Amino acid sequence: MADRLRAIVGHNHVITHPDRLVAYESDGLTAYRVVPRAVVLPETTEQVSSVLALLHEEGIEVVPRGAGTGLSGGALPTPDGVIVGTARMNRILSIDQQDRLATVQPGVINARLTEATAPYGLYYAPDPSSQSACTLGGNVAENSGGPHCLKYGVTSRYVTGLTVVLADGEIVRFGGAGTEAVASLDLVGLFIGSEGCFGIATEIEVRLLPAPEGVRTLLGIFDTMQEAGHAVTDIMASGLMPAAVEIVDHATIVAVEASVFAAGYPIDAGAALVIEFDGTEAGLDEDADRAEQCCVAAGAREIRRATSEEERLGLWKGRKKAFGAMGRIAPDLLVQDATVPRTRLPEVLARITEIGEEYDLKIANVFHAGDGNLHPNILFDRQNADELDRVEKASQEIMSLCVSVGGTITGEHGVGVDKRGYMPLVHNEVELEMLRRARWVFDPSGSLNPGKVLP
Amino acid sequence: MTLVDGLRSVLPDVAVRDPSEPDSPAWHGATPEFIASPSSTEDVSRLLVWAAQEGLGVLPVASGSHADPVSNGRFVALDTSLLSGIEEYEPADLTITAGAGTRFATVDDALRGNGQWAPFDPPAARGRSMGGLVSEAAHGSLWAGYGALKNHVLGATVVTGDGRVLRLGGKVVKNVAGYDLLRSVVGGRGRLCVLTSVCLRAFPLPPQERVLLMSGTSVAELIESALAVGTAPVLPASIVVAGPLDVLDGRAALVVRLHGAESTVDADQATLETHVGRPFDRVMDVRDGAARILSQLQDLGAAEERCIEISVLPSQLSGLVSCAADVGLGPMVVDSYAGRIRIGGADLGVDPVGTLRAAAEKAGGALRIVRWNGADSPTSTPQSAVTAMLSERLESIFDPGGVLWPARS
Repeated sequence: MADRLRAIVGHNHVITHPDRLVAYESDGLTAYRVVPRAVVLPETTEQVSSVLALLHEEGIEVVPRGAGTGLSGGALPTPDGVIVGTARMNRILSIDQQDRLATVQPGVINARLTEATAPYGLYYAPDPSSQSACTLGGNVAENSGGPHCLKYGVTSRYVTGLTVVLADGEIVRFGGAGTEAVASLDLVGLFIGSEGCFGIATEIEVRLLPAPEGVRTLLGIFDTMQEAGHAVTDIMASGLMPAAVEIVDHATIVAVEASVFAAGYPIDAGAALVIEFDGTEAGLDEDADRAEQCCVAAGAREIRRATSEEERLGLWKGRKKAFGAMGRIAPDLLVQDATVPRTRLPEVLARITEIGEEYDLKIANVFHAGDGNLHPNILFDRQNADELDRVEKASQEIMSLCVSVGGTITGEHGVGVDKRGYMPLVHNEVELEMLRRARWVFDPSGSLNPGKVLP
Repeated sequence: MTLVDGLRSVLPDVAVRDPSEPDSPAWHGATPEFIASPSSTEDVSRLLVWAAQEGLGVLPVASGSHADPVSNGRFVALDTSLLSGIEEYEPADLTITAGAGTRFATVDDALRGNGQWAPFDPPAARGRSMGGLVSEAAHGSLWAGYGALKNHVLGATVVTGDGRVLRLGGKVVKNVAGYDLLRSVVGGRGRLCVLTSVCLRAFPLPPQERVLLMSGTSVAELIESALAVGTAPVLPASIVVAGPLDVLDGRAALVVRLHGAESTVDADQATLETHVGRPFDRVMDVRDGAARILSQLQDLGAAEERCIEISVLPSQLSGLVSCAADVGLGPMVVDSYAGRIRIGGADLGVDPVGTLRAAAEKAGGALRIVRWNGADSPTSTPQSAVTAMLSERLESIFDPGGVLWPARS
């Protein structure tokens, strides 16, 4: 089998040595680890097609993988399966300045697309926190968001067309800018967020936006999370449309300030709020002033406003480096992901604190406050079986809590293997069966990314 | 036992009326056996199960204003107008949930009363139902600034052809808990299921709306200026060229809408005028006449006996507009950012539309027949064989008994 795969992709692009396969045993969710049977790294749509056709013919399971930055175990291998990685499919195929479109291979890193389009005054809006490493193919598979999706929306708003290889190797084209008048179901929209279970996207057409002329970034320091939460509610109710509204809590601030990523946040603060506006230069100061007034009215003890790009990066540092900083205080980190209606944030955060205390776990919160997308981060040591058990129980309670207030179990990380068990919280058996049938529509064999999404 | 008696034995309280009553929709093609108006999701489910047992098709309709023609066969019309009312609205969450039969005007009024709005403006939007708008993925010119309607639909309750009730999506902005079946329902035109409730994302009303107008003798004369606006370093809320317009004495107009604080729209206007190379003829807000122009732009051609829609890349628009003018088609509305053209008129001819379809497809685009009353309708650009196959599979899992065939006919 390996030789037949090498005949398709080249000798050096099929990995079977156990030492090298270890690098693929997990994605960003390291609590789950499975060494795959082999890893194949095709370079073109045609090679992906031939590889999938061969594996389909042999009845071998396939796990698609981008950069492996996912946090739900969506790229977790199966013991007998083969990983099809997109690392070599890293070319930007075209940039159309007039129509503001780009077509990329799935292995293109998110931030690289914006770098490549910057000379044209354009950029790609979705900006997952891992954007310097994650790939556009992975973003499509997970329907990724990011801090600035509050104003600009998530991946599905920007993908206009896809070339997809189905499980049996068939190459299909979904959508495409300029073809919206074709009376068909929205297969592009359905494919996005399918977590590698429907096919492998090998060419992705995305819409670009004009780069904003200016940006204003504020950091609000609050004594309590409650005050920060009120500031968020007031800002959003005032009619302002910030590009991003992000909160880090006290536990996160302490972790960041004790690390090499220290950003100058006061360690006695209850919460810090990063607020950003972008767009036409004129008017940004006015927006920032109004947001500052909301923060002060909610009880902010200090407001900092960036006056340079360097200062802006400094204000963001405590937010962007939070996950890295937490590695210093615990060997393992479970980055949870759930969304709740924005108005329910204060009560949900208070209850999450209680859950942490009940299970004797340290939980640090970093989240996209503007759209209610929480990331409670549970710090633990997986060598401690008792603690691991408490982590699982606390996670279950947090997910149930979020669903009970009208939220959902994942806002941007996907279900993968991590959230499969929580799916019955948001879908009844009729709906779960419908999701199984939807998978059948694209992959009747069920060989693509088995064991993901569905319980 | 008559069909109506049969239905009453299952759903004693469901309202039933004759399709020939004066206030019924105009039925283009076959006429339904009767119109049933269930008032709950559960009754919709029972109605669909009963119809399957009786061998009847079911055509979901609300206002009926956009019901597609149905080929011959026995079917009932499922009127969603009693599934009406705002079910949940929390202004601070910027979300609103309403029954599928709720008129958009009801939702719009509720939102505007709280300084919010749903930024989409398809033709005749206020009189149409939420379910109808979502089912059609109806779009307007605000796509440039706010994206498509499908991006604003957060959740829906639907009933499949065999009566299963599904809650798709939710009421939060970010939600990736499972495959996004909601996206196949939005724009599904009733082929997959019956919508009974819809949750929309709302937006704060912009502090100011400024309408910039440049007039000309024809759409063709203005299209290059529109394309220049579309490549400027600012993103307007909408960029539309249309004509001829009654409100401008038969002239055409490029209309650009800017949203934001006053200082922002001042700067954006200056940027656009520099980019286009000339000032706009008129600068208006909704208080001094812009509302009439926007209203005509929104509806132009859409209610005509015959209406077509073309999509191409914006860079290909000039050629398509010229082609339409050459074959005598008009009036037209062009969304130059989205690359869409709508042409409506009672006298659209089969041959000119065929010529335009060929030109659109040659340019990498497509043409769709939105409405064609009369014989010998030209055909729309077909989907590919493989997407047709996948669509059929999707239809089979939503509607295994094929009850919703009238929406697919």
